[in-house]
Amino acid sequence: MSHTTSLNVDYNYSIVRLFTLTTVFWGIIGMTVGVLIAAQLYWPALNFDTPWLTYSRLRPLHTSAVIFAFGTSALFATSYYVVQRTSQVRLFAEKLALFTFWGWQAVIVSAVITLPMGLTSTKEYAELEWPIDILILLVWVSYAIVFFGTLAKRKVSHIYVANWFFGGFILTVAALHVVNSMAIPISAFKSYSIYAGAVDAMIQWWYGHNAVGFLLTAGFLGMMYYFVPKQAGRPVYSYRLSIVHFWALIALYIWAGPHHLHYTALPDWTQSLGMVMSVVLFVPSWGGMINGIMTLSGAWHKLKTDPILRFLIVSLSFYGMSTFEGPMMAIKSVNALSHYTDWTVGHVHSGALGWVAMISIGAIYHLIPVLYKQGRMYSISLINTHFWLHTIGVVLYIVAMWISGITQGMMWRAVNTDGTLTYSFVQSLEASKPFYLMRFIGGVFVVVGMLLMAYNVYKTVRAKDESLQPVPVAA
Amino acid sequence: MEYTTLHSIFTVILFVGFIAFVIWAYSKKRKTDFDQAANLVFEDEQKAQQKTKQESDHE
Repeated sequence: MSHTTSLNVDYNYSIVRLFTLTTVFWGIIGMTVGVLIAAQLYWPALNFDTPWLTYSRLRPLHTSAVIFAFGTSALFATSYYVVQRTSQVRLFAEKLALFTFWGWQAVIVSAVITLPMGLTSTKEYAELEWPIDILILLVWVSYAIVFFGTLAKRKVSHIYVANWFFGGFILTVAALHVVNSMAIPISAFKSYSIYAGAVDAMIQWWYGHNAVGFLLTAGFLGMMYYFVPKQAGRPVYSYRLSIVHFWALIALYIWAGPHHLHYTALPDWTQSLGMVMSVVLFVPSWGGMINGIMTLSGAWHKLKTDPILRFLIVSLSFYGMSTFEGPMMAIKSVNALSHYTDWTVGHVHSGALGWVAMISIGAIYHLIPVLYKQGRMYSISLINTHFWLHTIGVVLYIVAMWISGITQGMMWRAVNTDGTLTYSFVQSLEASKPFYLMRFIGGVFVVVGMLLMAYNVYKTVRAKDESLQPVPVAA
Repeated sequence: MEYTTLHSIFTVILFVGFIAFVIWAYSKKRKTDFDQAANLVFEDEQKAQQKTKQESDHE
């Protein structure tokens, strides 16, 4: 069933293959839905007056698809791969691992069906209704059993740092999901949250920001700590820094949620606490980024020839950029300008498309040849093309949202001498319009890159075993 | 004890604990162990050649 390049351990690669291929598939779906709703903001007629094609129903589908279908599948694939290889042992409870695959696909398909139908709990990034929430929990508990079970039977004494990050992500996401999804069902498809008012808002953003902190950050940092050293061919810059990085990051992230609720009914002290913790968070974030990038010190020339390494390293640059931007936007006076504007949307996408997607794409290009017994991907130049398409797409997207967002913020706060608003909402929308087109074009670049990736993956998977030889590396 | 005092003490304990943890992580004694751990990424390929080296204990 499974084969391995390692000589002693027969790793379970079939589960990794399943999750890797679905990562590519759901990536294309999720990002295409994103491009569609970006187009709807520019050409509103694109909802065709059909309820299930409206922005309001497709937006949660887009976020769920890219975070939970694309991103989380990538995390499943890489964590199962990394935990086996760095523990030098085959996966624990393989049937359960297979259940996590089919269970997770069932969750995604349920989302694809129920969200356009308008069935939603209305909690951002947790819109799925209660029966699906229960399935998520079952899958997640199984995931934890498989992952920690594998760690428990490891053949090496040390737990490699990537597994600490993966483990932290798995445990915390379980806690976040359970607490945030607490609801009273009133029918098969309708439930009400047990929280109300400011408490509800606080729980929601405790969940929301830690989904960013633990799923979209800690999980992908686990990916970074394996694939960056591996692709660069040298151990991580500082292992001791990676340990301090882990504990500092997880200790701080959990407090940052209130920055989503500045100037709301949340108590002032909670807002200030969230702001301070978010600013401090800059330190471990950049510690980790520097640790990843400096892994390449002495081997910078590899960036010239290896587009996979370029994906990984540029993802870290975007990570550094968005973890500088984030703490800044969490400062209350900056937030007064940026909140509810497109700046936030741009910030999220520099993290999601720049950091999360690029590190995942780099990891997948590294994984596919190993999983399918090839020396390299079918086409290195297509990877290079993908890299440039993706980078240009992300930059177009972020720049468009910066300009649009700051314009919105300035227009919304402008007042005349008599205290009335200078601009109506529609006027600010008109000012944003050209940038919505620019954002749409950026998104198209990203999706085209993903389609090239799918082709490249298909050709590699279908190639005869070991027919693709690695390119000789110049020393 | 008052709630605020308790929280202050807890904060100080956490802070001291963190500093102690950083000192532990950066102590010379940990260096060889950590170097070995950092190389786990590559040991997954080289097992056959390095079989004996693998069995090093935790110190």
